[in-house]
Parts: sequence; structure tokens; C-alpha cells
Amino acid sequence: MSAPTSAKPPFLGFGLGLRAEHYADILDGDPAIDWFEVISENYMVPGGQPLKMLDRIRERWPVVMHGVSMSIASTAEPDLDYLNGLKALADRVEPRWISDHLCWTGVHGKNLHDLLPIPYTRESLDHVCDRIDLVQNALGRTLTLENVSTYVRFAEADMTEWEFISEMSRRSGCWLLFDVNNVYVSSFNHGYDPLEFLNGIPQDRVVQFHMAGHEHLGTHIIDTHDREVCADVWELYRHALKRFGPVSTIIERDADIPPLAEIMVEVEETRRIAAEVLPPESLARAAA
Amino acid sequence: MRGFAALQGAFQNAILTGDDAVLAGLLDGPKEGREALLAVYRHAYSARLVEILASDFPALKAVLGDDGFETAARAYVSAHPSTHRNARWYGRGFADFLARTEPWSDRAEFGELACFETALADAFDAADLGPLTLADLAAVPPEHWGDLIFSVDPSASRLDLATNAIELWSSAAEGADPPLAAPLAATEKLIVWRDGATPMYRAMTDEEAMLWDEAARGSTFGELCVLAATFAAPDEAAGRAAGYLASWIGAGLLAQARPAEVS
Ligand SMILES: [Fe+2]
Repeated sequence: MSAPTSAKPPFLGFGLGLRAEHYADILDGDPAIDWFEVISENYMVPGGQPLKMLDRIRERWPVVMHGVSMSIASTAEPDLDYLNGLKALADRVEPRWISDHLCWTGVHGKNLHDLLPIPYTRESLDHVCDRIDLVQNALGRTLTLENVSTYVRFAEADMTEWEFISEMSRRSGCWLLFDVNNVYVSSFNHGYDPLEFLNGIPQDRVVQFHMAGHEHLGTHIIDTHDREVCADVWELYRHALKRFGPVSTIIERDADIPPLAEIMVEVEETRRIAAEVLPPESLARAAA
Repeated sequence: MRGFAALQGAFQNAILTGDDAVLAGLLDGPKEGREALLAVYRHAYSARLVEILASDFPALKAVLGDDGFETAARAYVSAHPSTHRNARWYGRGFADFLARTEPWSDRAEFGELACFETALADAFDAADLGPLTLADLAAVPPEHWGDLIFSVDPSASRLDLATNAIELWSSAAEGADPPLAAPLAATEKLIVWRDGATPMYRAMTDEEAMLWDEAARGSTFGELCVLAATFAAPDEAAGRAAGYLASWIGAGLLAQARPAEVS
């Protein structure tokens, strides 16, 4: 079965991961945010306030749906109820695209609520590509997948993460969400050059960047999303812009969430750096 | 497929049970051994679930204290690996766990407080249906009222509390020192629901709670009037039942009314 192909999503500008803590400041104000990424699972609930808030955001800003529990790489049976629920939410929200992570979250009926690593092998690649096909057909649209932060590597790997991701995107047609911080975290944890990862990803497949903070423990880095983006990751963002051009970007914060005004400083920084690195005409966005 | 599936099974096992078999297939990092790196996942697993429970049960956490809550939450996490894809539902069994598991089961207020916080969370994002309005009811000819059955709002839960759990909850919500837990002289009949966007709760009298429970089970309004007559002054029973009905409608507690099927 061939996957549904859709045109490459547009450049949306500089956005923010929507968090309930900021609903009031966002809706009552007019923050300089171009678009929002929302966590799909937060809105896969029967009704009430979350969906009403999302409807109001959707009226004023472009929205992208980002999931944390698709578990695309899991060898468990595909969860069609989940996919139907995701599609129902997408029908309501009409997101510009739908993303999740290249990872698994559990097998044997259990869920660890974590983004777990996979061995980069031909076997796992075949499996992931089959699952992407299934999901893209169920959703009737192209999926976007994100690289995750990892802490361990598997002895049986027969390719690098960037080779795996590139081949996955080429074969399945899925778009890529390039998490700049995750590339940095994983490169430190596994001892490779983040630029080697970055330069190993095809230029035309990346539709979104994530920027986030992490906790450096000296011997390894943990992807915490609980603080501001560090200087090295900003530097890597510059390289990412040079390689991939204008790519829709958001700041992700999931713990110790500060007031909106504080996060806006980082949103502005993504915009400022892009304006420095890229020619102004490349940053044009469609008016509607 | 077999190798990958087996690896995932072993990796999950390593996190859930502490089994080290998966270590043989992992590499050391440049600056840290594989055991310490695997521990990042092991630690994150329980820490994340405890955090989910803490955000779902803030008042219970205030009453138990940080350490006491952590102990209770870790016990639940060990006994109940998550089977939900959406973490939103993970805490669903926590109240029941506390009510059945020592030492928490010795103190009924813990389970009741968790039960109340679960009802509030459920009210918050329950399905949007109705609400039934007085205008909807006015459209029904009075002679047919007796045959009406009601759908209660999907956000509504009825709780029977034997302790001062609500007092504990409100002091925690205000950030005050919790009062001493104590059994109540009589069971408190509580209703929790969402009115518009706001989760609400209030006490019901024994009569109102009895009629509500019957209405939720699908009894007709006529049957509710008969039941009210067995409870107190029979000649005022229909008036009292109509009064409850009006207050439920006013509070957004009912979603729909429809005539009972004639069988
Ligand atoms: Fe990310």
C-alpha cells in the first residue's frame, strides 16, 4: 500500500508549544507568536475546558498536533482506537500537520509514558516503515516524525541514527521534525559530532524544529525541557537554519513553566537568529 | 521482527522489574557506563508516574505531605503499571488502591479525598452534552411529565463520604494547614459536576440524593414522586420532586429528558 502523499507543509514562522498555564495570557493578549504546537493527548478527552480552549486558539492561530503516545516503533499490535481518536481530533482541529516521535512507549499492553530508544537496524527500519504506512493510511495524511533524546545505544545497531532517519523518511515519505536540542543531547550522550547528524539529514525533508532546555550532568545530558535553551543549542540552531533554510520552529517547555513573557524572550530569539542567518525574502509566510 | 520484539520486551522488563538481562545488548557511553545510562530510563519511569499522580491529586499530596505522598504514589506505581495510552487516565485507580491497601486503608479519609479529586478531574473534561433547560421542559405538556426519564450530565458523580474529606480538601485548596481527619456523624451525600466550565460540588440531603440516584438509574419523574412520598410528607412529595428537578436543571446537572419507552 502506498502512503498518501501531501505537499510539503508551509513555513509557519516562530511559535510555541501550547501549555494550559498560558491559556489566559495568550487569549487575553496578542503575543507575537506565529503558531502553536499542541500536545494531541491533552485534547483526546471527552470534552470540557481543554477542547474549548483549543477551539479558541484555533480561531486565531495555525495549529500543529504533536503526539507523545503513538509508539510508532512498538512491536505491539497497532492501536486502531488511538488512531481513530487522533483522526477525530484532527478533523476538529484541522492541524497543518501531525507529528509524533521515532520511539516506542510500551509493549504487552503496558505503557511506560516515555520515549524509548530503538536499535538502528534493518529489521527495526522495516518495521517502522510498515507502521508509518499504516498510520498514514489511517490518518489519510503524511506523518511527521521527531528524533528523540536517547541515553543508551544498542550493540546490534548497523547504522547511525541519521542514516536510519534519512532512510525512514525516504522510504515512507514521512516528514521530519528536527529537534535541535535532542540532536545535541544524543550526540553528547553517545559521543558523536552533532553536525555530523545534522549534515546527514536530507535538506528537503525537515518541516519543523524543536528548541528546548536540558540538564547537563557532566557525564551525560538529560532532556528535561525545564529551563532555557543553552548557548550550544542556539549555535546548533544556526547551523540547522543554514542547512534546512526557513523551518517552522517552536520553543518547548514542559516543566517549571515560567510566565508567558519569559518564554517570549526565547520565541523572539528563534526569530532574531533566523533573520540573522537567512535572507529576509526566505522568511516570507503565506498570509492566510 | 522476533529480535526487535524480544529486545523491546527485555527493555521494558528492565524498567518495570529491574531485570538486567537487556544490559548485555547495550553499549557503554563515552563518559558513563551502560548501567547508569539505563538507570536514566528506570528513574524517569517511576518519577514521571509519581508526577502525574501529584498533579492529579494536589490536595491528597498536601494532606499526606511530600514524603507520605511519594510513598503512597510509588506503592501504586509498583502495583499498577500503566495500561493507558493517555497518561490522563493513569490515576483512575488510585483512590481505590488507597481504600484497599494498608496502611492507607486504615485512614478512610485518604481514599475519600482521592475519590473526590478523581471526581473533580472527571468533571473537568467530561463530555459536553446538554444541558437540559427549563425551556426544554416547558415544551413537554405537564400531563406527560410523569413519563419523563433523564440523562444526568456526563460530568456528574455522586459520592458518599464517611469522613471530613471535603474539609481536608478545602483547607488544602486554600493552602491552609489541614484540620484533623475525623469520621462524620452521618454520611455526607455529595454531588460533583461541571457547570459551564467550572467543576462544582455540593451536599445533597438524604432525600435529594436518593431521588438523584434513582433518576440517574433511569426512573421516570412519576416514579421519583412516588419515591419521595415514601420518604416524607406524601401530599407535598410531587412539589418537592419538582423543586429538586428545577434546581438540578438550574445547576446544569441534567443533560437530557425524554419520554420513557412504552413497553
Ligand atoms: Fe521535541
